Amino acid sequence: MNDDYAIRVRNLYKTFDEVQAVRDVSLDVRPGEIFSLLGPNGAGKSTTISMLACLLEPTAGDAYVMGHSILHEQMAVKSSIGVVPQEIALYEDLSARENLSFWGKMYGLRGERLRQRIDEVLEIIGLAQRQKGPVANFSGGMKRRLNIGVALLHRPDVLILDEPTVGIDPQSRRNILDSVQEFNRQGMTVLYTTHYMEEAQEISDHIAIMDQGEIIAYGTHDELVQIVGELDRIDLTLSTPPGQEEIRAALIQTWRQLDRVHQVSTAGHETITTEAGSPAEQSPDFEAAVDHSGLTLLVGDSNLVLPDLFETAVAVGARITSVDIQEPNLEAVFLHLTGRALRD
Amino acid sequence: MRATSLALKDLLQIARDWKSALFLVVMPILFTFFFGLVLQPDSQAEADARLPVGIVGREAGGQLGAHLERLLAASEVIRPVPLSEAEADEAEALVDGGELAAAIAVPEGFSQAVLSGQSPRFTVIADPMTTTGQAASQGIETVISRLLGAVQTARISADEFAAAQGFETEGARQAYLMRGLDQAVAAWEEPPLTVRQEQAVVSGEPGESEVPGGFAQSSPGMIVQFAIFGLITSAMILVLERQAGALKRILTTPTSRAAVIGGHVLAMFLVVFAQVLLLVLVGQLLFGVDYMRAPLATLLMATILAFWAASLGLFIGSISKSQEQVITLSLIAMFLFAALGGAWFPLEVAGEAFATVGHIMPTAWAMDGFQNIVVRGLGLASVLLPAGILLAYGLVFFGLAVWQFGFETR
Ligand SMILES: Nc1ncnc2c1ncn2[C@@H]1O[C@H](COP(=O)(O)OP(=O)(O)OP(=O)(O)O)[C@@H](O)[C@H]1O
Ligand SMILES: [Mg+2]
Repeated sequence: MNDDYAIRVRNLYKTFDEVQAVRDVSLDVRPGEIFSLLGPNGAGKSTTISMLACLLEPTAGDAYVMGHSILHEQMAVKSSIGVVPQEIALYEDLSARENLSFWGKMYGLRGERLRQRIDEVLEIIGLAQRQKGPVANFSGGMKRRLNIGVALLHRPDVLILDEPTVGIDPQSRRNILDSVQEFNRQGMTVLYTTHYMEEAQEISDHIAIMDQGEIIAYGTHDELVQIVGELDRIDLTLSTPPGQEEIRAALIQTWRQLDRVHQVSTAGHETITTEAGSPAEQSPDFEAAVDHSGLTLLVGDSNLVLPDLFETAVAVGARITSVDIQEPNLEAVFLHLTGRALRD
Repeated sequence: MRATSLALKDLLQIARDWKSALFLVVMPILFTFFFGLVLQPDSQAEADARLPVGIVGREAGGQLGAHLERLLAASEVIRPVPLSEAEADEAEALVDGGELAAAIAVPEGFSQAVLSGQSPRFTVIADPMTTTGQAASQGIETVISRLLGAVQTARISADEFAAAQGFETEGARQAYLMRGLDQAVAAWEEPPLTVRQEQAVVSGEPGESEVPGGFAQSSPGMIVQFAIFGLITSAMILVLERQAGALKRILTTPTSRAAVIGGHVLAMFLVVFAQVLLLVLVGQLLFGVDYMRAPLATLLMATILAFWAASLGLFIGSISKSQEQVITLSLIAMFLFAALGGAWFPLEVAGEAFATVGHIMPTAWAMDGFQNIVVRGLGLASVLLPAGILLAYGLVFFGLAVWQFGFETR
């Protein structure tokens, strides 16, 4: 009865001690589609995936992968999935080929078929020329590619990728997104988690937005954006006189009271396409790239709201130094639903 | 099947780290050598422990000269040092200078005198004011009275025989007398109740000694110690695997937890087993420790020791959170088990209480097993108990490791 869906999740819960990491999650992933789980850090994406991969036992609920229950048919579930973990789960002292050979055997491949698949996968991930040396000497991007390659060896029905583009250069990221779409064209169902809304927007057939353990919205990209279809998004930069930063907080309070203003996010805005490529998220450069004086507002009609914004700013002695009116996007949807930015 | 693949992967990783692997063979060989030398009871020094006594005029001994020399040689107190004519004049100076504890001059015609029932006068040079001099004099007296006693015994026996059956000729009587004398002297040479402390002869006669020394101590000792030390490398693989997230990833493949545990423990077992066999071979060929006296017993001990060490390694690998912890725990295990288990020195040396307490250590049983073979010269039956106890310890560690492992991956 569940065979119509590649993955069917029913009222899944996971509680760690005090933390409810996953709360009443239900999902349907159709065969042959790319399904994205979009959510900020700590949303519960990895926990959900771990349960689907039979690594974690659900506190309550059940899920079916290719019709097999994650509670009762674990070996069948594991045979039909390929999991790409968030971290680089490889043996760095072994070569790419040795890693693929080992993981292939763990998936039950042997002999000639194993050798053949290793060669194919090395081609796909573009590491055929680098199959010999230890993985420890690889660049971050190469490791990520091998990390993905491992999950392709047994040609799984369902490929599950957990934030596979974190911490790599834009080119490797492009490469990975293209590959994922290619695997999908070849017939693999893909479950993809990310906290980059552009990635979800670009590759997904369906997207579920997750926050604090719950699915807060679900649909195609267009359906989701429709939620904020009537709204405009305004990115603006605010400057206050030196030593009078409290003015800023007061002003935000004032704006929140305005009729047509729905949400004000103080997380700052960033041009994510460049930021996503920075090698280390924690690097100081990355922090600098986020404009902390920036604000994002969701408003009913920007033409009517903007005069009010300028007026109130001038009244408290602050200056609006830039204004950018944007099409609503997934970021705006998230802001609308949670009052927070996707990237905290 | 997956367990084997996993074990092969571990072995490949260990082989990559071949310098550590080499270390695991070279180090124990060096340590076996040095510990063996240190623990070797000095046989030369032991012979010297008897007081040197110069003997002048041996050639004057006549018929009984040979008997006198045998009794002198058999003395527990003195060691005869034959002096030449030239040295004889210096005898007094040698005693004064302390090179000799005493000197004794065998008088002319002493054999005839003794055989005819008289007590000849021996000239003894010794310093009666020193304990050495006194002890040496007493030692000499003891030897002489033994000789007189032996002659007396032989004569009484000959007289009895003459009274009972009579001798056909004087030659026959003489021959009978000398045979009796031979037997009496021989009895002193191998007294039934003398306790001698001797070096544990590595490949000596069975049952010769109970306290192991030399290479018979250091070879099994270092085998046991480095079986534990070697765990650093293989337990590290487990920790790195867990830290990288590879362990979790394995569990997303159709591989059971049992196969994961089995594979890891198999790899560790094979490494330790190969290491132990190699060191047994080196012990046999290089240090003359006779493991091959009981090949089956040695094989059994090597197998069980490897299993125990592998279980300990699995345990250390599953409780360690970091690489540093692996090293710390392995070193603690090594020092604790090796030192207290008698791998460095025989537990017997440290006393009864220590030996008893030491046998809480599984390693003490490993040592017992090996030394039953190489020191006590016993066979397969003698290692069954030590092997059984070691196996039980192995199973306990294995159980703890499996329990911890399940905990860790849920
Ligand atoms: N083993 C655990 N024990 C306790 N709490 C946990 C455990 N694993 C996850 N959590 C908590 O559950 C919540 C969800 O974590 P999860 O890793 O699923 O988030 P995520 O969406 O994958 O985030 P990220 O983008 O940072 O990977 C977090 O609050 C996290 O701290
Ligand atoms: Mg995650």
